[in-house]
Amino acid sequence: MLRRTLFVLAFITATGLFGSAFAEVIEASNVSVAQIDDALVARADFGLDLTQRLEEALNNGVPLYFVVEFELVRPRWYWFDEKTALEKLTMRLAYHTLSRQYRVSRGALYQNFPSLGEALRTLGTVRGWAVLERERLKPDEGYVAMLRMRLDTSQLPKPFQVSALTSREWTLASEWTRVAFTANPAGSAAR
Amino acid sequence: MTYVLIASAALGGILLFLLAAASANTPLFAEHYPLLLVLNAVIATALLALVIYQLVVLARQRRAKVFGSLLTFRLLVMFAIIAVLPGVLVYTVSVQFLAKSIESWFDVRVDKALEGGLSLGRAALEAMLSDLTRKANSMALDLSGVQGPQQTMALGRLREQSGVDDALLLTAGGRVLSSASREALSLVPSMPPPAALRQARSSRSYAAIEPQGDQGMLLRVIVPVGSLSLSEETRLLQVTQPVPQSLAEQGESVQSVYHAYRELSLSRQSLRNIYILTLTLTLLLALFSAIALAFLLSRKLSEPLAVLAEGTQAVARGDFSRRAPVTSRDELGVLTQSFNSMTEQLDEARSAAEANHAQLETAKGYLESLLANLSAGVLVFDAGHMLRRVNHAAENILHENLSSLVGAQPERWQKLPQVAETLREQFAKQLETAWQLQIELPERVIVLRGSALPPTGGGGYVVVFDDITQLIAAQRATAWGEVARRLAHEIKNPLTPIQLSAERLQAKLAGKLSAEDALALDRATQTIVTQVTAMKNMVDDFREYARTPAPVLEPVDINGLIAEVLVLYEQSGVEVRAWLQEGLPQARGDRNQLRQVIHNLLQNSQDALLGSVAPRIEIATEFVPGPAGGRVWLKINDNGTGFPDAIIQRAFEPYVTTKTKGTGLGLAIVKKIIDEHHGSITIANRPDREGPRGAAVSISLPLAQAA
Repeated sequence: MLRRTLFVLAFITATGLFGSAFAEVIEASNVSVAQIDDALVARADFGLDLTQRLEEALNNGVPLYFVVEFELVRPRWYWFDEKTALEKLTMRLAYHTLSRQYRVSRGALYQNFPSLGEALRTLGTVRGWAVLERERLKPDEGYVAMLRMRLDTSQLPKPFQVSALTSREWTLASEWTRVAFTANPAGSAAR
Repeated sequence: MTYVLIASAALGGILLFLLAAASANTPLFAEHYPLLLVLNAVIATALLALVIYQLVVLARQRRAKVFGSLLTFRLLVMFAIIAVLPGVLVYTVSVQFLAKSIESWFDVRVDKALEGGLSLGRAALEAMLSDLTRKANSMALDLSGVQGPQQTMALGRLREQSGVDDALLLTAGGRVLSSASREALSLVPSMPPPAALRQARSSRSYAAIEPQGDQGMLLRVIVPVGSLSLSEETRLLQVTQPVPQSLAEQGESVQSVYHAYRELSLSRQSLRNIYILTLTLTLLLALFSAIALAFLLSRKLSEPLAVLAEGTQAVARGDFSRRAPVTSRDELGVLTQSFNSMTEQLDEARSAAEANHAQLETAKGYLESLLANLSAGVLVFDAGHMLRRVNHAAENILHENLSSLVGAQPERWQKLPQVAETLREQFAKQLETAWQLQIELPERVIVLRGSALPPTGGGGYVVVFDDITQLIAAQRATAWGEVARRLAHEIKNPLTPIQLSAERLQAKLAGKLSAEDALALDRATQTIVTQVTAMKNMVDDFREYARTPAPVLEPVDINGLIAEVLVLYEQSGVEVRAWLQEGLPQARGDRNQLRQVIHNLLQNSQDALLGSVAPRIEIATEFVPGPAGGRVWLKINDNGTGFPDAIIQRAFEPYVTTKTKGTGLGLAIVKKIIDEHHGSITIANRPDREGPRGAAVSISLPLAQAA
């Protein structure tokens, strides 16, 4: 018993440190940022596919939270890169058993979908996300925007969080996609 | 070590509390739950490392045979058992209980009931939806003939007739043609989602229950409105009706319970894992802390024993100075204290024994020196007649090295047969009392006194002996003196009357006798007178010998003495040559007696030289350094007849003489005087070359300062 427990502990520690390396992958595509009016607007498409466990949990009424993370850094050759901004967009995917509808919520806004596929497609489509004000960018400076989407396991019910520590079936994330652009008053950079 | 343990245990406790709190759904810690888990695991690992380290240290001590390590180990094992057994028991029971109780939450009946409730709600909603669909269909049928501006009125009427909340007439593209609502003031009713429109166009019908978040649920039906002409644009009729609030709420609550239940059901394995993990961590932390604590406690318990053992070893090495510190007031403390007092007593006893020993040694040394400096010889025998001890004087008296005889019985002695024989005989008699014997050895006479030692001391015999040669000689001399004095007295008394009588006889008869007779008388008288005179001289000499008083020893200048005496011999007709050493130290002696010695010796020489052709006497003095400051030598040689071989051995005895007239006491007196001066005298004949033989007398005297 003791040995098994120790083994489990060791396993938890190990996977806690390296677990993200085995995550199920979200495919990111069409990632771009644009400087429109006085905001920096990001758009991206994320190809999502739920694992069996996640789908089971969803269908049993467990809401899933997805986070789109945006990070803006200014590369500096003489020092570490400056982290200019770190923004998050949280989306919620839930199943309404009574009406058999999937619901995607983003803040107060929500949409119902009779099928999971449509819900996921909507979930993975990020359009017109005004990430930050243009004022925070220094004109004519080079920036790198990084985007990724991941399942926020910390918002899962606790038992699932523990499972998420040990099982990669509970992790879902995309790689960071980097987009370099130059901030200027009228220009925009896209991939 | 202690502090590490306390810190680890405290930290572990805090983390455990946090973990337990997090497990119990406190949102504050919930998000850090994995971190807490890892931290607890780290603490448990640290404690495990501590325990392993302690065990390794203990094992090393065991291998090095450090005293007390075995006891520490045993105590540790006992403590560990005490800690581990209940812990494991509680743990096992808890895990079992946990698994059972979590499983017991889930029941097929509950599952079915919840599902049934949900189905019921859904069925009710479905029924309402189908009712709404039916109404929509009939409205669509009625509307099919209505075109243009009449639409709005017809729609309002139909909505009123069918009792629908909202009705909306749209084009296929989604443009609103007309709308009617129960509340006149309401704005545009909720627009159909594009997907719904799409579905209504393709499958000619759309009916759905749409959850509206907090506003309950909405029933939405979209049906196409039949047209009379093909050219006419397809129209769609949307009818919406909110689900009654009570029904919606009931449905939602059933759903939320159902969700919660399903969630729990799904996560029960994880839940079990969490609880087991928490329990396991608790157990590990408790166990490791307990073992580490047990280690410290057993250390603390066995420590005084190790100190005691160290003390014991020190005592065994003979070091009594070690005192174990008394740290506790329990039995161990008492034990330590008694050990200390025991050590102290031992120390005292040993110093007392040492003092005794030293005293004995001193006494023994004293006896030894006494024995060594005793002039009498001492032989000590044990009960088996074996020689045990011999003192220095014994060897001197017997003129033998006796150390080789130690350990041997007298029968086995290779030397001193006479002494051995005597001793053997005396031992054989087994006398209780002391005995005394005088035995004669070559040139020596010794007296042996033996006595048995008391049996309490192991028995044995002690034999004390003395060289009494000198004593006997002295006694003999005294006896001779006495005899001589008596004889002189007795003989001398009648001599004078004899001489007087003889002279009177001659005086009376001289004229009356014939010449021949007178001659004979004269000759006889002469003979008598001569012999009486000789006898008188003899008696005087005799008395002289006997009367020689004890010498008065004082510093004497031998050279001066010789010069004084030589004056008397200047006219004797004998050549006397003197070689007197210059600066001769003064000897110790009686001036008058030494003068007589010189006188006697010169007289002897002179007598020996009678009739000699070239009589010559040589007298010499010399200082010879040596022990006790050296000695003064006086040598007198002559070229006379020398000593006959027959008497040279006995020349010093009285009445031994070669002279026709002489008492034979001259050399005896000389010998007596020299002996009393602690000097030595030897006589010898000079080397017999072609010349006449002669006597050589050598006398040595002690120095005045050396006295």
